[in-house]
Amino acid sequence: MLPLDAVAYTNRWRPRHPAEKAFLSLGLLTCAVALPPWPGAPVVGVVAAMLLLGPAGVAPRQVWRAMKVPLGFVTVGSLPLLVAVGGTPWIRFEPTGVPLALQLAGRATAALLCLLLFAATTPLADTLPRLNRLGVPPAITEVSALMYRMLFLLLESVRTVREAQASRLGFRTWATSYRSLAGQGGAIFVRAFERARRMEEGLALRGYTGSLRVEVEQRPVSQPFVVATGVLLVVVVVGTLTLRRVLA
Amino acid sequence: MHIAEGYLPPLHAAAWTVAAAPFVVHGARAVVRRVRTDPDSKLLLGAAGAFSFVLSALKIPSVTGSCSHPTGTGLGAVLFRPPVMALLGTIVLFFQATLLAHGGLTTLGANVFSMAVVGPWVAYGVFVLTRRLGGGLALGVFLAAALGDLATYCVTSVQLALAFPDAASGVAGSIAKFGSIFAVTQIPLAISEGLLTVLIMRLLIRVSPAELTRLGVLKPGPAAAPVTVKEAGA
Repeated sequence: MLPLDAVAYTNRWRPRHPAEKAFLSLGLLTCAVALPPWPGAPVVGVVAAMLLLGPAGVAPRQVWRAMKVPLGFVTVGSLPLLVAVGGTPWIRFEPTGVPLALQLAGRATAALLCLLLFAATTPLADTLPRLNRLGVPPAITEVSALMYRMLFLLLESVRTVREAQASRLGFRTWATSYRSLAGQGGAIFVRAFERARRMEEGLALRGYTGSLRVEVEQRPVSQPFVVATGVLLVVVVVGTLTLRRVLA
Repeated sequence: MHIAEGYLPPLHAAAWTVAAAPFVVHGARAVVRRVRTDPDSKLLLGAAGAFSFVLSALKIPSVTGSCSHPTGTGLGAVLFRPPVMALLGTIVLFFQATLLAHGGLTTLGANVFSMAVVGPWVAYGVFVLTRRLGGGLALGVFLAAALGDLATYCVTSVQLALAFPDAASGVAGSIAKFGSIFAVTQIPLAISEGLLTVLIMRLLIRVSPAELTRLGVLKPGPAAAPVTVKEAGA
């Protein structure tokens, strides 16, 4: 199981309706990208982090683990703003780029925390069947659900194949590494299509008519949660704009 | 390399979403039509999508000594064709955003445009062109995977440059800056992905000719010979 998906199944907000969590996370995400980065990014980032670590009950270690790779992109992607090219000297440090790079890093970090607020509290298995109500064709949600179910089996297969290859010194040299990786690619292709074929046969034996509808657990949308989210979003917007005027 | 959540300004994020939308809608309509006429193809598409996700999780060694993940756009485009890849790539990127926090929801449109639209179309175009010019299957697959990968990263660099133009030299200078970080460093990785994709394709021809025939990569027959360009492009 992927670490973020495991957290999504074990956090305190797991029983909540996905729409509640989507409203809160995507509302905050919109604030993070639409409000002025200073002081919008710190405000949104702190609110998202508090919700994630507090009521949702996600451990700081798990949040940090999920943030490491995207933060690497943000750091590397902010560096070009610190230099200017053209003129003399051709490449030089650009002092005006410092606030821009900080704003960019702040906005991206706040937005990432908002994304995690949704991803770490809502399993995809809860979200995908409900996308039909947003107008996504059933064929697409069913293909997505099949992908979701199959990918964990394939990831497990790759792990097993990799361990077996490593035990046979399959990554000793460049040549053996590439041969082993090709073996992994071939193995997941064969297993994916073999599983699809077996599923096809199994469904045919059960009178498959073309629909793969699954039972979706009914959960009521909490009105107090939705109202509290609306109030929180208004407070974030008004608070950020007021703070901006005060700090200007 | 996915553009991280919140990295692009709102207008740019919206513009790239609008740019990617027609390709994704076209792919979705093609898939819905295919599923309506052949309900079993849903399972095949699910397998293809899961394969694309897991392929992008493999770690390939680079000549620089570092490790990277293949984009899988070249192999995906050759096996499943670009319109299907536009949809499957979008679902894969959505999964990567919500399961791994790689990429994001606001930057989904930009990432879809580079990885699920431009990458697969460049890869498929290069593959068809190479085959038409008389190149072998291995050469076609290598160039498709390597150039599809490189095109993806060039587009990412342009997307970043348009969002953050250089203070002195504008967008052109910014393309040079972002390109030197995200595209030039990608050349060895693109070559690595090309080599790996050729090895995977050779292996698949040996162990899974029936599935490749079903996908239209090989033509039916006892020898399961590679299809000609006219057939592949049909």
